[in-house]
Amino acid sequence: MTAHERALRELYARWLDRASKAGFALCLCAFIVYAGGLLPSYLPASELPRYWGLPVSRFIALTNMPHGWGWMRFLGYGDVLNLGTVALLALVTPVCYARVLPRLFAERDWLQVALAAAQLLVLAVAASGLLAAPG
Amino acid sequence: MDAAALPWWIWPIALFAVSFAIGIVAVLAGVGGGVLFVPIVGGLFPFHLDFVRGAGLMFALAGTLAAGPPLLRAGMASLRLVMPLALVGSIGSFAGALVGLSLRVELLQTLLGILIVGIAILIWRTRAADRADIEADALGAFLRLEGEFVDPAAGMKIDWRTHRTLLGLGAFAAIGFIGGIFGLGAGFANVPALNLLMSAPLKVAVGSSGLLISVINSSAAWVYLERGALLPLIVVPAILGVMLGSRLGARLLGSTPAPVVRLLLIVVMLLAGLRALSRGLGVWA
Repeated sequence: MTAHERALRELYARWLDRASKAGFALCLCAFIVYAGGLLPSYLPASELPRYWGLPVSRFIALTNMPHGWGWMRFLGYGDVLNLGTVALLALVTPVCYARVLPRLFAERDWLQVALAAAQLLVLAVAASGLLAAPG
Repeated sequence: MDAAALPWWIWPIALFAVSFAIGIVAVLAGVGGGVLFVPIVGGLFPFHLDFVRGAGLMFALAGTLAAGPPLLRAGMASLRLVMPLALVGSIGSFAGALVGLSLRVELLQTLLGILIVGIAILIWRTRAADRADIEADALGAFLRLEGEFVDPAAGMKIDWRTHRTLLGLGAFAAIGFIGGIFGLGAGFANVPALNLLMSAPLKVAVGSSGLLISVINSSAAWVYLERGALLPLIVVPAILGVMLGSRLGARLLGSTPAPVVRLLLIVVMLLAGLRALSRGLGVWA
Protein backbone atom coordinates (compact mmCIF):
# COMPACT_ATOMS: atom_id res chain seq x y z
CA MET A 1 0.00 0.00 0.00
CA THR A 2 1.41 3.39 -0.99
CA ALA A 3 1.76 6.38 1.34
CA HIS A 4 -0.92 8.13 -0.72
CA GLU A 5 -3.37 5.30 -0.12
CA ARG A 6 -2.60 5.24 3.60
CA ALA A 7 -3.14 9.00 3.88
CA LEU A 8 -6.39 8.75 1.91
CA ARG A 9 -7.66 5.94 4.14
CA GLU A 10 -6.83 7.92 7.28
CA LEU A 11 -8.50 11.05 5.87
CA TYR A 12 -11.72 9.14 5.05
CA ALA A 13 -11.69 7.39 8.46
CA ARG A 14 -11.17 10.67 10.32
CA TRP A 15 -14.04 12.41 8.55
CA LEU A 16 -16.30 9.38 8.84
CA ASP A 17 -15.58 9.27 12.57
CA ARG A 18 -16.23 12.98 13.13
CA ALA A 19 -19.29 13.26 10.89
CA SER A 20 -20.99 10.12 12.23
CA LYS A 21 -20.36 11.09 15.88
CA ALA A 22 -21.74 14.58 15.23
CA GLY A 23 -24.73 13.06 13.42
CA PHE A 24 -25.50 10.64 16.27
CA ALA A 25 -25.13 13.37 18.92
CA LEU A 26 -27.49 15.72 17.06
CA CYS A 27 -29.92 12.85 16.46
CA LEU A 28 -29.99 12.00 20.17
CA CYS A 29 -30.40 15.66 21.24
CA ALA A 30 -33.24 16.19 18.75
CA PHE A 31 -34.96 13.02 19.96
CA ILE A 32 -34.77 14.19 23.57
CA VAL A 33 -36.30 17.51 22.48
CA TYR A 34 -39.04 15.63 20.57
CA ALA A 35 -39.83 12.92 23.14
CA GLY A 36 -39.58 15.42 26.01
CA GLY A 37 -42.12 17.69 24.35
CA LEU A 38 -39.74 20.68 24.44
CA LEU A 39 -40.97 21.72 21.00
CA PRO A 40 -44.47 21.29 19.58
CA SER A 41 -44.94 18.35 17.18
CA TYR A 42 -46.23 18.72 13.63
CA LEU A 43 -48.08 15.45 14.24
CA PRO A 44 -48.42 14.65 17.97
CA ALA A 45 -46.89 11.30 18.92
CA SER A 46 -50.15 10.26 20.58
CA GLU A 47 -51.89 10.47 17.19
CA LEU A 48 -49.26 8.44 15.31
CA PRO A 49 -50.77 5.00 16.10
CA ARG A 50 -53.80 5.95 13.96
CA TYR A 51 -51.56 6.37 10.93
CA TRP A 52 -48.35 4.34 11.25
CA GLY A 53 -50.02 1.17 9.97
CA LEU A 54 -50.89 2.86 6.66
CA PRO A 55 -48.80 2.85 3.47
CA VAL A 56 -46.62 5.96 3.29
CA SER A 57 -48.60 7.54 0.43
CA ARG A 58 -51.83 7.27 2.46
CA PHE A 59 -50.01 8.46 5.62
CA ILE A 60 -48.84 11.62 3.82
CA ALA A 61 -52.28 12.24 2.32
CA LEU A 62 -54.06 11.99 5.69
CA THR A 63 -51.53 13.74 7.95
CA ASN A 64 -50.18 16.28 5.46
CA MET A 65 -46.70 15.58 6.89
CA PRO A 66 -43.98 17.38 4.92
CA HIS A 67 -42.02 15.12 2.58
CA GLY A 68 -39.41 15.63 -0.12
CA TRP A 69 -37.37 18.59 1.13
CA GLY A 70 -40.55 20.21 2.48
CA TRP A 71 -39.52 19.41 6.04
CA MET A 72 -36.82 22.11 5.88
CA ARG A 73 -39.55 24.75 6.37
CA PHE A 74 -40.89 23.12 9.56
CA LEU A 75 -37.77 22.58 11.67
CA GLY A 76 -39.44 24.39 14.56
CA TYR A 77 -41.47 21.24 15.18
CA GLY A 78 -39.86 18.53 17.31
CA ASP A 79 -40.73 15.61 15.04
CA VAL A 80 -39.62 17.40 11.87
CA LEU A 81 -36.41 18.57 13.55
CA ASN A 82 -35.74 14.94 14.42
CA LEU A 83 -36.30 13.96 10.79
CA GLY A 84 -33.72 16.59 9.81
CA THR A 85 -31.11 15.05 12.11
CA VAL A 86 -31.86 11.57 10.71
CA ALA A 87 -31.21 13.07 7.26
CA LEU A 88 -27.81 14.23 8.55
CA LEU A 89 -26.82 10.58 8.98
CA ALA A 90 -27.57 10.00 5.28
CA LEU A 91 -25.28 12.98 4.53
CA VAL A 92 -22.25 11.50 6.28
CA THR A 93 -21.10 9.42 3.28
CA PRO A 94 -21.42 12.27 0.72
CA VAL A 95 -19.46 14.53 3.09
CA CYS A 96 -16.65 11.95 3.33
CA TYR A 97 -16.54 11.46 -0.45
CA ALA A 98 -16.53 15.23 -1.00
CA ARG A 99 -13.62 15.53 1.44
CA VAL A 100 -11.41 12.92 -0.27
CA LEU A 101 -12.18 14.10 -3.82
CA PRO A 102 -9.76 17.10 -3.80
CA ARG A 103 -7.03 14.84 -2.38
CA LEU A 104 -7.55 12.34 -5.19
CA PHE A 105 -7.53 15.19 -7.67
CA ALA A 106 -4.26 16.54 -6.27
CA GLU A 107 -2.72 13.07 -6.54
CA ARG A 108 -3.95 12.82 -10.18
CA ASP A 109 -5.57 9.49 -9.33
CA TRP A 110 -8.04 9.94 -12.19
CA LEU A 111 -9.71 6.55 -11.85
CA GLN A 112 -10.60 7.17 -8.21
CA VAL A 113 -11.58 10.77 -9.02
CA ALA A 114 -14.06 9.45 -11.60
CA LEU A 115 -15.46 6.84 -9.18
CA ALA A 116 -15.83 9.33 -6.32
CA ALA A 117 -17.41 11.97 -8.57
CA ALA A 118 -19.86 9.41 -10.02
CA GLN A 119 -20.76 8.27 -6.48
CA LEU A 120 -21.44 11.86 -5.42
CA LEU A 121 -23.60 12.31 -8.52
CA VAL A 122 -25.68 9.20 -7.67
CA LEU A 123 -26.14 10.38 -4.07
CA ALA A 124 -27.05 13.88 -5.26
CA VAL A 125 -29.68 12.49 -7.66
CA ALA A 126 -31.08 10.28 -4.87
CA ALA A 127 -31.19 13.22 -2.43
CA SER A 128 -32.66 15.62 -4.97
CA GLY A 129 -35.79 13.52 -5.39
CA LEU A 130 -35.60 14.13 -9.15
CA LEU A 131 -36.44 10.50 -9.95
CA ALA A 132 -38.45 9.77 -6.81
CA ALA A 133 -41.81 11.39 -7.47
CA PRO A 134 -44.34 10.27 -4.81
CA GLY A 135 -45.97 6.97 -5.76
CA MET B 1 -54.20 -8.43 22.82
CA ASP B 2 -55.27 -5.58 20.55
CA ALA B 3 -52.18 -3.60 19.60
CA ALA B 4 -54.27 -0.47 19.02
CA ALA B 5 -55.36 -0.48 22.68
CA LEU B 6 -51.79 -0.08 23.96
CA PRO B 7 -50.45 3.41 24.75
CA TRP B 8 -48.31 4.82 21.92
CA TRP B 9 -45.12 5.09 24.00
CA ILE B 10 -44.99 1.32 24.56
CA TRP B 11 -43.97 0.82 20.93
CA PRO B 12 -40.80 2.97 20.80
CA ILE B 13 -39.67 1.44 24.10
CA ALA B 14 -40.34 -2.09 22.80
CA LEU B 15 -38.58 -1.18 19.55
CA PHE B 16 -35.54 0.04 21.47
CA ALA B 17 -35.45 -3.26 23.42
CA VAL B 18 -35.79 -5.40 20.27
CA SER B 19 -33.14 -3.34 18.44
CA PHE B 20 -30.83 -3.68 21.44
CA ALA B 21 -31.23 -7.49 21.36
CA ILE B 22 -30.73 -7.57 17.57
CA GLY B 23 -27.59 -5.44 18.01
CA ILE B 24 -26.11 -8.04 20.37
CA VAL B 25 -27.00 -11.05 18.19
CA ALA B 26 -25.92 -9.29 14.97
CA VAL B 27 -22.40 -8.63 16.25
CA LEU B 28 -22.06 -12.13 17.67
CA ALA B 29 -23.31 -13.69 14.42
CA GLY B 30 -21.38 -11.33 12.11
CA VAL B 31 -24.39 -9.96 10.22
CA GLY B 32 -25.51 -6.35 9.79
CA GLY B 33 -28.75 -6.69 11.71
CA GLY B 34 -31.12 -5.28 9.09
CA VAL B 35 -31.80 -8.83 7.96
CA LEU B 36 -33.25 -9.49 11.45
CA PHE B 37 -34.76 -6.05 12.04
CA VAL B 38 -37.05 -5.84 9.00
CA PRO B 39 -38.76 -9.26 9.29
CA ILE B 40 -39.00 -9.17 13.12
CA VAL B 41 -40.28 -5.59 13.41
CA GLY B 42 -42.39 -5.98 10.25
CA GLY B 43 -43.97 -9.12 11.70
CA LEU B 44 -44.47 -8.18 15.35
CA PHE B 45 -45.01 -4.41 15.40
CA PRO B 46 -48.03 -2.45 14.12
CA PHE B 47 -45.97 -0.26 11.74
CA HIS B 48 -46.52 -0.46 7.99
CA LEU B 49 -43.72 -2.18 6.12
CA ASP B 50 -42.88 1.11 4.33
CA PHE B 51 -41.79 2.65 7.66
CA VAL B 52 -40.10 -0.56 8.84
CA ARG B 53 -37.99 -0.73 5.67
CA GLY B 54 -37.05 2.96 6.01
CA ALA B 55 -36.01 2.34 9.61
CA GLY B 56 -34.20 -0.86 8.54
CA LEU B 57 -32.04 1.10 6.11
CA MET B 58 -31.16 3.69 8.75
CA PHE B 59 -30.59 0.88 11.28
CA ALA B 60 -28.00 -0.74 9.02
CA LEU B 61 -26.54 2.64 8.02
CA ALA B 62 -26.07 3.74 11.64
CA GLY B 63 -24.31 0.52 12.61
CA THR B 64 -21.90 0.65 9.69
CA LEU B 65 -21.15 4.39 10.05
CA ALA B 66 -20.03 3.77 13.61
CA ALA B 67 -17.95 0.71 12.68
CA GLY B 68 -16.31 2.26 9.58
CA PRO B 69 -13.39 4.24 11.08
CA PRO B 70 -11.84 1.39 13.14
CA LEU B 71 -12.29 -1.05 10.23
CA LEU B 72 -10.53 1.34 7.84
CA ARG B 73 -7.67 2.05 10.26
CA ALA B 74 -7.15 -1.68 10.89
CA GLY B 75 -6.85 -2.26 7.13
CA MET B 76 -9.90 -4.55 7.17
CA ALA B 77 -11.91 -2.20 4.94
CA SER B 78 -10.36 -1.20 1.63
CA LEU B 79 -11.47 2.09 0.02
CA ARG B 80 -10.07 0.97 -3.33
CA LEU B 81 -12.18 -2.18 -3.20
CA VAL B 82 -15.26 -0.37 -1.90
CA MET B 83 -15.46 2.54 -4.35
CA PRO B 84 -16.35 0.73 -7.62
CA LEU B 85 -18.58 -1.84 -5.87
CA ALA B 86 -20.38 0.86 -3.86
CA LEU B 87 -21.04 2.84 -7.03
CA VAL B 88 -22.89 0.02 -8.80
CA GLY B 89 -24.48 -1.03 -5.49
CA SER B 90 -25.78 2.52 -4.89
CA ILE B 91 -27.36 2.69 -8.34
CA GLY B 92 -29.00 -0.71 -7.68
CA SER B 93 -30.11 0.34 -4.20
CA PHE B 94 -31.60 3.60 -5.48
CA ALA B 95 -33.56 1.70 -8.15
CA GLY B 96 -34.59 -0.95 -5.59
CA ALA B 97 -35.93 1.69 -3.20
CA LEU B 98 -38.03 3.24 -6.00
CA VAL B 99 -39.39 -0.18 -6.99
CA GLY B 100 -39.92 -1.31 -3.37
CA LEU B 101 -42.05 1.72 -2.49
CA SER B 102 -44.35 1.03 -5.42
CA LEU B 103 -45.05 -2.67 -4.64
CA ARG B 104 -48.10 -3.95 -2.75
CA VAL B 105 -47.39 -4.84 0.86
CA GLU B 106 -48.69 -8.43 0.55
CA LEU B 107 -46.27 -9.10 -2.31
CA LEU B 108 -43.44 -7.46 -0.35
CA GLN B 109 -44.16 -9.53 2.76
CA THR B 110 -44.23 -12.74 0.69
CA LEU B 111 -40.97 -11.91 -1.12
CA LEU B 112 -39.38 -10.82 2.16
CA GLY B 113 -40.36 -14.13 3.77
CA ILE B 114 -38.87 -16.14 0.89
CA LEU B 115 -35.71 -13.99 0.93
CA ILE B 116 -35.17 -14.29 4.71
CA VAL B 117 -35.71 -18.08 4.69
CA GLY B 118 -33.32 -18.29 1.71
CA ILE B 119 -30.69 -16.20 3.55
CA ALA B 120 -31.01 -18.41 6.65
CA ILE B 121 -30.29 -21.45 4.46
CA LEU B 122 -27.39 -19.57 2.78
CA ILE B 123 -25.84 -18.75 6.20
CA TRP B 124 -26.32 -22.37 7.27
CA ARG B 125 -24.66 -23.77 4.14
CA THR B 126 -21.92 -21.19 3.44
CA ARG B 127 -18.37 -21.79 4.54
CA ALA B 128 -15.73 -19.07 4.26
CA ALA B 129 -12.66 -19.58 2.10
CA ASP B 130 -9.35 -17.72 2.07
CA ARG B 131 -7.21 -18.31 -1.00
CA ALA B 132 -3.77 -16.82 -1.48
CA ASP B 133 -3.12 -18.01 -5.05
CA ILE B 134 -5.39 -15.53 -6.85
CA GLU B 135 -4.40 -13.91 -10.14
CA ALA B 136 -6.15 -10.58 -10.72
CA ASP B 137 -8.30 -10.40 -13.87
CA ALA B 138 -7.93 -7.52 -16.36
CA LEU B 139 -10.72 -5.39 -14.89
CA GLY B 140 -9.56 -6.04 -11.33
CA ALA B 141 -6.02 -5.05 -12.33
CA PHE B 142 -7.32 -1.89 -14.06
CA LEU B 143 -9.32 -0.91 -10.95
CA ARG B 144 -6.32 -1.94 -8.78
CA LEU B 145 -8.50 -4.04 -6.48
CA GLU B 146 -5.65 -5.23 -4.32
CA GLY B 147 -4.08 -4.44 -1.00
CA GLU B 148 -2.34 -5.75 2.04
CA PHE B 149 -3.75 -6.66 5.40
CA VAL B 150 -1.95 -7.56 8.60
CA ASP B 151 -3.92 -10.26 10.41
CA PRO B 152 -3.11 -9.93 14.13
CA ALA B 153 -4.72 -13.30 14.93
CA ALA B 154 -2.57 -15.17 12.39
CA GLY B 155 0.42 -12.85 12.96
CA MET B 156 1.09 -12.44 9.24
CA LYS B 157 0.75 -9.95 6.39
CA ILE B 158 -1.62 -10.98 3.62
CA ASP B 159 -1.24 -9.52 0.11
CA TRP B 160 -4.57 -9.86 -1.59
CA ARG B 161 -6.16 -9.16 -4.96
CA THR B 162 -9.55 -9.98 -6.41
CA HIS B 163 -10.75 -11.72 -9.54
CA ARG B 164 -14.10 -12.27 -11.35
CA THR B 165 -14.48 -8.49 -11.13
CA LEU B 166 -17.25 -8.10 -13.72
CA LEU B 167 -19.30 -10.80 -11.99
CA GLY B 168 -18.62 -9.07 -8.67
CA LEU B 169 -19.86 -5.73 -10.01
CA GLY B 170 -23.02 -7.44 -11.30
CA ALA B 171 -23.51 -9.16 -7.94
CA PHE B 172 -23.25 -5.87 -6.05
CA ALA B 173 -25.73 -4.15 -8.38
CA ALA B 174 -28.19 -7.01 -7.68
CA ILE B 175 -27.47 -7.02 -3.92
CA GLY B 176 -27.98 -3.24 -3.78
CA PHE B 177 -31.28 -3.59 -5.66
CA ILE B 178 -32.59 -6.22 -3.24
CA GLY B 179 -31.35 -4.23 -0.22
CA GLY B 180 -33.14 -1.12 -1.53
CA ILE B 181 -36.41 -2.97 -2.02
CA PHE B 182 -36.47 -4.54 1.44
CA GLY B 183 -34.58 -1.95 3.50
CA LEU B 184 -31.70 -4.32 4.27
CA GLY B 185 -28.01 -3.64 4.62
CA ALA B 186 -27.31 -6.93 2.83
CA GLY B 187 -24.11 -7.79 4.67
CA PHE B 188 -25.29 -11.42 4.44
CA ALA B 189 -24.70 -11.25 0.66
CA ASN B 190 -21.81 -8.76 0.54
CA VAL B 191 -19.45 -11.01 2.48
CA PRO B 192 -19.95 -14.17 0.34
CA ALA B 193 -19.77 -12.05 -2.84
CA LEU B 194 -16.46 -10.53 -1.75
CA ASN B 195 -14.98 -13.68 -0.20
CA LEU B 196 -16.31 -16.59 -2.27
CA LEU B 197 -16.89 -14.87 -5.62
CA MET B 198 -14.12 -12.26 -5.76
CA SER B 199 -11.74 -14.09 -3.37
CA ALA B 200 -11.02 -11.19 -1.03
CA PRO B 201 -9.74 -12.49 2.35
CA LEU B 202 -12.59 -13.09 4.79
CA LYS B 203 -11.62 -10.32 7.21
CA VAL B 204 -11.23 -7.81 4.37
CA ALA B 205 -14.62 -8.98 3.03
CA VAL B 206 -16.31 -8.48 6.42
CA GLY B 207 -14.69 -5.08 6.99
CA SER B 208 -15.29 -3.80 3.46
CA SER B 209 -18.90 -5.04 3.60
CA GLY B 210 -19.53 -2.65 6.50
CA LEU B 211 -18.11 0.31 4.59
CA LEU B 212 -20.04 -0.74 1.46
CA ILE B 213 -23.31 -0.73 3.40
CA SER B 214 -22.61 2.77 4.71
CA VAL B 215 -22.28 4.04 1.11
CA ILE B 216 -24.95 1.93 -0.59
CA ASN B 217 -27.64 2.50 2.05
CA SER B 218 -27.17 6.26 1.88
CA SER B 219 -28.64 6.42 -1.62
CA ALA B 220 -31.72 4.30 -0.74
CA ALA B 221 -32.16 6.21 2.54
CA TRP B 222 -32.62 9.44 0.55
CA VAL B 223 -35.43 7.84 -1.45
CA TYR B 224 -37.24 6.74 1.72
CA LEU B 225 -36.69 10.18 3.26
CA GLU B 226 -37.94 11.87 0.09
CA ARG B 227 -41.11 9.77 0.14
CA GLY B 228 -41.76 10.46 3.83
CA ALA B 229 -41.11 6.83 4.88
CA LEU B 230 -38.76 7.71 7.77
CA LEU B 231 -40.65 8.21 11.03
CA PRO B 232 -38.34 9.53 13.80
CA LEU B 233 -40.38 7.73 16.47
CA ILE B 234 -39.43 4.43 14.77
CA VAL B 235 -36.00 5.27 13.37
CA VAL B 236 -34.32 6.85 16.42
CA PRO B 237 -35.14 4.18 19.07
CA ALA B 238 -33.98 1.56 16.53
CA ILE B 239 -30.69 3.38 15.92
CA LEU B 240 -30.01 3.94 19.63
CA GLY B 241 -30.94 0.35 20.47
CA VAL B 242 -28.66 -1.20 17.86
CA MET B 243 -25.74 1.05 18.78
CA LEU B 244 -25.88 0.10 22.46
CA GLY B 245 -26.61 -3.57 21.69
CA SER B 246 -23.68 -3.74 19.25
CA ARG B 247 -21.33 -2.42 21.94
CA LEU B 248 -22.46 -5.11 24.38
CA GLY B 249 -22.26 -7.73 21.61
CA ALA B 250 -18.67 -6.70 20.86
CA ARG B 251 -17.80 -7.21 24.57
CA LEU B 252 -19.44 -10.64 24.60
CA LEU B 253 -17.78 -11.67 21.36
CA GLY B 254 -14.78 -13.30 22.98
CA SER B 255 -16.74 -15.39 25.49
CA THR B 256 -19.74 -16.54 23.43
CA PRO B 257 -19.56 -19.83 21.49
CA ALA B 258 -19.90 -18.96 17.79
CA PRO B 259 -21.78 -22.16 16.74
CA VAL B 260 -24.53 -21.50 19.33
CA VAL B 261 -24.98 -17.91 18.10
CA ARG B 262 -25.00 -19.05 14.47
CA LEU B 263 -27.68 -21.64 15.24
CA LEU B 264 -29.73 -19.04 17.16
CA LEU B 265 -29.46 -16.63 14.22
CA ILE B 266 -30.63 -19.28 11.73
CA VAL B 267 -33.61 -20.28 13.92
CA VAL B 268 -34.67 -16.64 14.51
CA MET B 269 -34.36 -15.87 10.79
CA LEU B 270 -36.39 -18.94 9.83
CA LEU B 271 -39.15 -17.97 12.29
CA ALA B 272 -39.14 -14.31 11.18
CA GLY B 273 -39.10 -15.33 7.51
CA LEU B 274 -41.99 -17.75 7.95
CA ARG B 275 -43.92 -15.07 9.86
CA ALA B 276 -43.42 -12.59 6.99
CA LEU B 277 -44.41 -15.28 4.50
CA SER B 278 -47.57 -16.12 6.43
CA ARG B 279 -48.54 -12.43 6.59
CA GLY B 280 -47.89 -11.98 2.90
CA LEU B 281 -49.98 -15.00 1.97
CA GLY B 282 -52.73 -13.99 4.41
CA VAL B 283 -52.35 -17.22 6.42
CA TRP B 284 -51.63 -15.39 9.71
CA ALA B 285 -52.31 -11.66 9.53
